Amino acid sequence: MSISRRRFLGWLGAAGVGTTLGRSAHAAGNTQFAGYPDSLGVLFDATRCIGCRKCEEACNKVNELPAPPKPFGDLAVLERKRRTDAKTYTVVNRYENVPGAKGPLYRKIQCNHCLEPACASACFVRAFTKNSNGAVTYDESVCVGCRYCMIACPFEIPTYEYDKAFTPRIMKCTFCYPRLIKGQLPGCVESCPAEALTFGKRRNLLKIARERIGLFPGRYIDHIYGETEMGGTAWLTLSGVPFRELGMREDLGTTSAPELTKGALSVVPVVASMWPVLLTGVYAISQRRDKIAREEKAAAVAEAVAKAQAEAKVKLTEAMARAEKDKKSAIDKEVKKALEEAAKTKAQESAAAPADVPEKKPS
Amino acid sequence: MMKERSLFRRTGLVLTLAALMLAFAIISVQGSAPSAPPADDASKPRADIIRIDGLKQFGKLERPAVVYLHEKHTQALSKKNKDCATCHLPDKKYMSTKFKRLTDASKKTVMDIYHDNCTACHRQTADAGEKAGPVVCTGCHQDRAVASSWTEIGMDKSLHYRHGKAQENKCEVCHHLYDPAAKKLVYVKGKEDDCRYCHLEKTVDNAISMRMASHAQCIDCHRKRLAENKDAGPATCGGCHDAATQKKIQKVKDVPRLMRGQPDVTIVQAVKRDGQKVAPFTRMSVVPFNHIGHESYNDTCRACHHSSMDACGKCHTLQGSKDGKFVNLQTAMHRVSAQASCLGCHDGFQADKRCAGCHASMPRKDPPELSGCASCHMPKPAAATPETEPKALAAMLLEARKPVTATYADEDIPETVEIKALSKQYEPAKLPHRKIVQTLVKNIKDSKLAGYFHRDLGTVCQGCHHNSPVAKKPPACASCHGQPFDGRNLFKPGLQAAYHLQCMECHKDMGIEKPVATNCTGCHKEKL
Repeated sequence: MSISRRRFLGWLGAAGVGTTLGRSAHAAGNTQFAGYPDSLGVLFDATRCIGCRKCEEACNKVNELPAPPKPFGDLAVLERKRRTDAKTYTVVNRYENVPGAKGPLYRKIQCNHCLEPACASACFVRAFTKNSNGAVTYDESVCVGCRYCMIACPFEIPTYEYDKAFTPRIMKCTFCYPRLIKGQLPGCVESCPAEALTFGKRRNLLKIARERIGLFPGRYIDHIYGETEMGGTAWLTLSGVPFRELGMREDLGTTSAPELTKGALSVVPVVASMWPVLLTGVYAISQRRDKIAREEKAAAVAEAVAKAQAEAKVKLTEAMARAEKDKKSAIDKEVKKALEEAAKTKAQESAAAPADVPEKKPS
Repeated sequence: MMKERSLFRRTGLVLTLAALMLAFAIISVQGSAPSAPPADDASKPRADIIRIDGLKQFGKLERPAVVYLHEKHTQALSKKNKDCATCHLPDKKYMSTKFKRLTDASKKTVMDIYHDNCTACHRQTADAGEKAGPVVCTGCHQDRAVASSWTEIGMDKSLHYRHGKAQENKCEVCHHLYDPAAKKLVYVKGKEDDCRYCHLEKTVDNAISMRMASHAQCIDCHRKRLAENKDAGPATCGGCHDAATQKKIQKVKDVPRLMRGQPDVTIVQAVKRDGQKVAPFTRMSVVPFNHIGHESYNDTCRACHHSSMDACGKCHTLQGSKDGKFVNLQTAMHRVSAQASCLGCHDGFQADKRCAGCHASMPRKDPPELSGCASCHMPKPAAATPETEPKALAAMLLEARKPVTATYADEDIPETVEIKALSKQYEPAKLPHRKIVQTLVKNIKDSKLAGYFHRDLGTVCQGCHHNSPVAKKPPACASCHGQPFDGRNLFKPGLQAAYHLQCMECHKDMGIEKPVATNCTGCHKEKL
């Protein structure tokens, strides 16, 4: 017996419901990751940034990145909006004629080192690590180059070495992880002449940011960008104008990327581990049914054959018997006939002569 | 045969070209249409934009409010020798500010009045072959963005003086009070108030809104005078409300003081209320107030007297009262965010370029630093007795105030200060120290207010030498500022940032453009 299409879909549906049932229990768990304790961060204060590009220069130097076509001292580069690329971990953009600002404003762009990074949650080979010091680092040795991280990042930070045919890597700010573990400051922070970049423990940076907002309420927007965005980031931003004016997304919400996707992604292990078992089971059941059906069929056929053979034998025997009988009766008949003929002739003879031959009885 | 074909081909070519050109012309006309200014110069900001959305009072609007350009209509009508009465009906005393009606009876009637009258006039005009307004729904009911130059206008001292002169100082022409007993408007000499005290933003009880009151009374008078060919104020929207036009309104300097029983000098204090035998007692030293001085600093009385011409303490009692919306005297005088409070107004002066260099970087504290209290709250002079009249006491105290307009002697101020913090990369930066001090002193010299508050010779130094007591030789920057990102001193910048922030932010706030902040060698000479 084979399974019908309807039954197969029914099984799939049941399997689907089964795998999603686990989700509500998961969501009900009161778990929230608020970052590693004492992890580090940087507070970028847009009201202090003068757009000197010293941070870009230092970043390029300490990370041994290729020299840009134009020197870092050339501020004409700021004429257009730039983004990070495979040769640039950080860029500073200029924003002119922002309402409420006294002059041009600047914003530094780099990896924000999310507390729960979207790139890491999207990576299926775990090439990204959120280190306990706050840095989100990348391991090129396991990367398969799928670039899901680039799509996952809400800040459009990871970039790809498209110009490398054989060893392309994802490139992004490392928070100067190698320097941090040696007790050095990140390159950009060290080079900033106006402390537009303040380095420290993230919890202290939040205190500093709140202090600044509190002391100069007219100077700052009452919000620390990165405190809650995407579940919080190690890099925080203060601004005197709405953040959208500095090209920053204000639609990100406060939920981290893994939190957003864990409902769907939590199904993945189940799908990956359970489904083969389930489908194998489905297959095994159908196989077994097929086998039983086959055996039953074979038995039935054998029985039928035996029965038919037996019947045929009986018939044959009967037919043989009948034929024998017929043959005997025919002989008898013939014999009788012959006898009668003979008797007749004898009678005729005996009429002429006495009948002395006895009458023969049929058997 | 060949000739025929070539002719055919040529015609085809010409036709194709013509079609292309036509298509191009259409595209370019369509493309340029939105950017080209329409005939009535709609791109210019206007002061006569009225949103006709009166039906809001009957519920949600079904269609977008009509963006109505008032002056466009008055101009069109004046060409046909039609005046305001074409649209506005006469009311009791003045013409109604509503369109073709006196009251808003119901949604249906108001809507019909607009629909019938507007479209009727538009149709008539169109039938006469003239340019006319729309007659279909969306012609008027559409969200149009018209740039506005509308600015609020009010009487200032100069305008008030000019009106008084034109009306031969007959205050009763404009000023009135409502007598609830007689249920009519009366004039009481010496009780002239600001229009806005009674005529609020919206009509309340017997007082129509400020908007209706001013449009009825001002325009009526202006129109009558214009009709008599007398010197008159404007009767158009833009005449009063256009930002550019407002700037051209003639200003009279040295307006004679407007007398309404106010003191020259007084003591700011809680006022004795009805039923109280003695004036409420405050433990603070009293504040003398130079009323006559403040009259000259301000354009209007309502700059301080926001809701009544009474003394502040009448409504703003020590504990707060209903009349004063429970804003107590302390808050009324000290609230930095309130424009009518002492500190609110004084604080605003710190935004001036000359002051902002130091003051923009100083945190606003609410309540302010206690050391500043004595600037206003002065101890009673020895000559004063409990019987001294408040006015006499105020005069004595104000006399005692001596504005400071100087700092230490030049020889005590270092001429240049060499900053060697970055000497590994650059030559030492030479700070023109004395020049900076002299500039700051010059900036405060002409302001009596600044003079009062920079009381000590060294107060002006504290713009840079902050967080340490006033001294002729304040501590060096490096004695507090060191390595950056010190976990034990979270809020203190490192030395380099301390220098840079102070110089750069001061320059930015004072509008000093050179040296540019990104030009390192503007301050630090290249090391050879």
